[in-house]
Amino acid sequence: MLEFSEANVAFSLDVPDSQEVIRVLADKLCAQGLVSKDYGRLTYERELEHPTGLPTTPFCIAFPHADADGVIQSALAIALLKKPVFFKNMADPDEELEVHIVVMLANKNPEEQIQTLRNLALLFGEPEKLSKLRDQSSPREVVAWLKRELRLS
Amino acid sequence: MGRLIVVACGAGINTSAIAEDSIKERVIQEGFADVEVKRILMADIEGYLGRSDLIMVVSMMKIFRTFHVPVFQGMPFLIGTKQEKDALLDKIVDAVKKT
Repeated sequence: MLEFSEANVAFSLDVPDSQEVIRVLADKLCAQGLVSKDYGRLTYERELEHPTGLPTTPFCIAFPHADADGVIQSALAIALLKKPVFFKNMADPDEELEVHIVVMLANKNPEEQIQTLRNLALLFGEPEKLSKLRDQSSPREVVAWLKRELRLS
Repeated sequence: MGRLIVVACGAGINTSAIAEDSIKERVIQEGFADVEVKRILMADIEGYLGRSDLIMVVSMMKIFRTFHVPVFQGMPFLIGTKQEKDALLDKIVDAVKKT
């Protein structure tokens, strides 16, 4: 079971940096009791050590997550950014990527969510799909579209 | 003795799980009954390099060194198109067949 609703969407989010995106998304999950209070801090600390920016096309995305410790119930949160923020490239931490969409997956156990993870990876590989995701016009549409793409019930 | 493929990433949660599952699925399809696919932390790689059953390293990160076994960059499993994902699996299968 993966929790994902309109309350997990930061739509047209206007923030100065990656730390703030992570904080906003973690706060949304925390407000619903899905993650612990320190999940945002843990995720940001992990991001500094093991960055999650991905050089996707037509724009870059990031996939921040922490270890399972702070996760109460597996959940997905997403931010569509009004203006991009920088994340470091997962494959090459020396490179800064301009990120437009941030997908936070709070995961109790990767095996449990493996099909969703693989569906996410298929989405990440399709430029038209990423554009479509960015073009959704409301949090409600983001949820409906993404649930369909990820085959979440 | 079995053959071991390790999938290494920085922190070993979601990213390498995607690669691990993709490779496992294909390994089963190919009928490689003796091939084990294991997700590890890049920081732990040294402990695996000395193993005689190790046949391949798949790294989700940039590779700065050489290994005595074939190495593949696994990022397409995360951000490649369906075709790129399948092409990488084909290369991995070819390399497994050579061991």
